[in-house]
Amino acid sequence: MPLDVAPLDDAALARRIAAAGAAVDSAAEAELYRRLAPRARLYGLRHLRDPHAARDLMQQVLLMTLERLRAGKLREPERIASFVLGMCRMVVLEIRRGTWRRETLLQTYGDTAEAVDASEPLALDGDKLAGCLDALAERERTVMVMTFFADRSGDEVAKELGLSAGNVRVIRHRALGRLRACMGGEAA
Amino acid sequence: MTGTHCASPIEFATLVGYWVGELPAAAEAVVEEHIFACAYCTQRLEELTVLSLGVRAAVRNGAMPVAITKPLLDSMRQQGMRIREYVLAPGERVNCTIRADDDAVVSRLQVPLAGVKRVDALQSLDRGEGRVQQRRVEDVPFDPDAGEVLSLPAAAELRKMPAHTFRVQLVAVDDAGERPLGEYTFAHTPS
Repeated sequence: MPLDVAPLDDAALARRIAAAGAAVDSAAEAELYRRLAPRARLYGLRHLRDPHAARDLMQQVLLMTLERLRAGKLREPERIASFVLGMCRMVVLEIRRGTWRRETLLQTYGDTAEAVDASEPLALDGDKLAGCLDALAERERTVMVMTFFADRSGDEVAKELGLSAGNVRVIRHRALGRLRACMGGEAA
Repeated sequence: MTGTHCASPIEFATLVGYWVGELPAAAEAVVEEHIFACAYCTQRLEELTVLSLGVRAAVRNGAMPVAITKPLLDSMRQQGMRIREYVLAPGERVNCTIRADDDAVVSRLQVPLAGVKRVDALQSLDRGEGRVQQRRVEDVPFDPDAGEVLSLPAAAELRKMPAHTFRVQLVAVDDAGERPLGEYTFAHTPS
């Protein structure tokens, strides 16, 4: 009976993958991927603002990570999270510089793709969210749209609406609290 | 920190600041280090991200009305939205519609805003045969330097509506009371 890997921390999983080497510890790899993939995807979304590019980044970074672990090239498995973050930063930087070579990477690590699983974002009830947005005060709704549709910072929203940045952040915080409560989550 | 709890969770306001790029580089790096080591805070950032993407989709789908600014209108067009535009001076009336290939329509109400602190919109929707709905929208957001109030009706709802007349009166509100700024009339026909 295979060992349940769920209770293991990230470093223990990384050590198991490294110890297995070419024999491949599929359970440990799948669990580590399940944990780290959402973090890489969110990093990609934050810095690339494109769900497809973020998913691409996630897959590339996790493939490289698993491959390095298997090859025993990651010297400090206990720092696996920092390593993945560093890889994300490097890939985003290269994407921005236009020096990223996805095709080369896939040729190098393509075999690893079979070992990994997809990481899908949470689903959201669009109709319910629309109703919750509609229920906000006019100014709150505008601030939400400026913030999340147009990626405006509090300072930028403030400048456009003739408000103080502090006032915008208060409106934003209140609106997010109402939205999350309306959607059934915790208030901010 | 790989479980469902975190001993020192990142404040939600900080997560929002991170997501919209408001944090200084050093603070941003701290947040990212924490997120990559913490399943709990990853989950909370995921929730924020899903909400953010949901707001984007709601705007694109015309799911709700929203008051906007000219730079926001420009952003919408830069992101590929096709937006039909109606520009009205005070007292004007316009024949209007929304077509199948429009993602949204925007009304740009020209209005003197110098010294104005708050604008309310008194709306009247006349479907004919005496069926009139009235509504007051308080504290409509506006750019005080722009000389106009911009708003997008809910495109999804507008597409379903039969011919009607929609009137908007903008009023300035302050401690002394309120004064009219302009009245605008939209005669809508389905496309």
